[in-house]
Amino acid sequence: MPDRLTGVLRGNLDVTGLGALLVVLLAVYAHYDSELFTPASITILSAQFLPLILAAMAQSTVMLAGGIDLSLGSVLALAMAVFAVRAEDGVLLAGVLALAAAVAAGAANGVLVAYAGLPPIIVTLAASFVWGGVTLVVLPKPGGAVPSGLVNAYNNGWNGIALPFVAIALVLVLWKAVRTTRFGLSLYAVGGNEHGAYASGIATRTVKIGTYAFAGVFIGLAGIGLAIQTGSGDATIGAPYTLNSIAASVLAGVSFFGGVGQMRATVLGALLIGLLTNLLLFTGMSPFYQLIVQGVVLIVAITVKTLATRERTD
Amino acid sequence: MTAPSQTAPARPAATLPRALGENRAALAFGVLLVTWIAAILFAKGFDSVSSVRYLVQTAAFLGIVAVGQTLVIMMSGIDLSVSGVVALSAVVCAQVASGAGGTAGIAVALAASVLVGLANAAGVTWLRVPPMVMTLATGTIVAGALLVYTDGSPKSAKIPLLGALANDRVAGVPLAFVLWIGITAVAAWLLHASRVGRYVFALGNGERASRASGVPLARTAFIAYGTCSLLAGVSGLVLLGFTSTSSLTMGNPYQLLSIASVVLGGTSILGGRGHVLGTVAGSLLLTLLTALLAAWNMSEGVRQITLGLLIIALLLAYARERRS
Repeated sequence: MPDRLTGVLRGNLDVTGLGALLVVLLAVYAHYDSELFTPASITILSAQFLPLILAAMAQSTVMLAGGIDLSLGSVLALAMAVFAVRAEDGVLLAGVLALAAAVAAGAANGVLVAYAGLPPIIVTLAASFVWGGVTLVVLPKPGGAVPSGLVNAYNNGWNGIALPFVAIALVLVLWKAVRTTRFGLSLYAVGGNEHGAYASGIATRTVKIGTYAFAGVFIGLAGIGLAIQTGSGDATIGAPYTLNSIAASVLAGVSFFGGVGQMRATVLGALLIGLLTNLLLFTGMSPFYQLIVQGVVLIVAITVKTLATRERTD
Repeated sequence: MTAPSQTAPARPAATLPRALGENRAALAFGVLLVTWIAAILFAKGFDSVSSVRYLVQTAAFLGIVAVGQTLVIMMSGIDLSVSGVVALSAVVCAQVASGAGGTAGIAVALAASVLVGLANAAGVTWLRVPPMVMTLATGTIVAGALLVYTDGSPKSAKIPLLGALANDRVAGVPLAFVLWIGITAVAAWLLHASRVGRYVFALGNGERASRASGVPLARTAFIAYGTCSLLAGVSGLVLLGFTSTSSLTMGNPYQLLSIASVVLGGTSILGGRGHVLGTVAGSLLLTLLTALLAAWNMSEGVRQITLGLLIIALLLAYARERRS
């Protein structure tokens, strides 16, 4: 029995390690915020962390297939802007439009990556220019309005249910379901060994396009969540999500070369970054320090990962 | 990529001077020439001497950054922190100059810029962080540090030396352009004639093989990333001289545009192939396109979309890589 336990732990090294870190962080957090584990607090925090968690899941999806998405922040802002502009005419339609915009942008990125023969870094960096421009056309100045009833229900709970929490759980279930499909397997296969995947009959280009489009679903939901949380749209708000989504994925042990990584670890990684950022505010640090901390977290996380994996492989 | 650099078959372009030996760099000048002629023929205000002067002057800001970016990309790296460093140098210089004078401001700004480059190189070589992640992180840290340093409101500063560098002319040629060409000449020597340059090309063509054959990765990376950041800092100073103000976001356009200049100039994005002179054509081309777009009356958003699509189209047209 103990052998089996250590075996499971070893198989989930990233999840266990992150979980332990998270417990420490939560303990510190509870010291500053004694109401941390009340339903109200959990609702607010899950509303606050939802965009980052979903953005990180999107980035992990792309990274698992061996890509990277530097346009994530721009696409997130685009979905947010579309939703905020259209929300007053019907939330459902606005949500569909925002999702469609994000998926279309993702698919376009995917087509470029699959067919352009250029590295994903360059393609998505150039594409981020385009999506940023589209966002400015949709919403030149911060504005738009999300119905206050929805904002309230989302941030403060609806009949005692933390809606963002439910949303994240549903998205995770969606990922689980997709992972077991042929597409989900192909996604890991393409990331792990593109030539091998191609040789065994997987349409690698279609899988890449599908991957970016599927990540677009997560990004779109993140943008919608951010719009509901803040009650309006802002074209410039997306930028930090690109870096933080990469940082969360790296923390979670998703490999830059694709094929390796677990989504639940990504969720924990995103939570860790979110809690850390909040904690800095509690300690009275100026919010200006956030960017510095996020950059340092990314470097430290990837250094630890690289050094740890190098020991195993070299 | 371990493919030999001479994969392109010998074509008429190969008879051009050896400095443009790589077909793609020559092609970049061809595209630039055609675009420029088209601009003169079909758009207003591109046919005067003063317009040419203004174009090469403003292209210098981008061009200086792009020369540094060429060094890094040639060794298979990438520097996403240049946007942060351009702002860093201008903001720090303006801030220091208001207390300690212009010369001190320039010195501190350049030192700070080089420091970022050294940090990039240290991360890439010693911590083995992928260049994209390392430079993205340092760029973010620099942006955050500037927020803290200026408390969100950077200063403006009139520094005579920088003002002259950005706006004055020598025999009708803008000094900024002269500076850019001078820097390019030094970079051309460094990259194409010196030992360090050969190391850079070797690393770009295959890191494992080069390290196995004794190419010093660390030293080469420190020189390449350090120079890249130094040049981004120089560009920030010239920009400060040009506008007399500094802002936290002034470097943002240079991140994508400097990389695009390098790639459009015919340098392989995977490294190991290309010529720094092509980057000059790339920077001029992108500045020309930006000016053309500015000539049409478009909203900020539409302009950004058009420029982004143009860059993607140009990348697709002649910068494709056949990956193994």
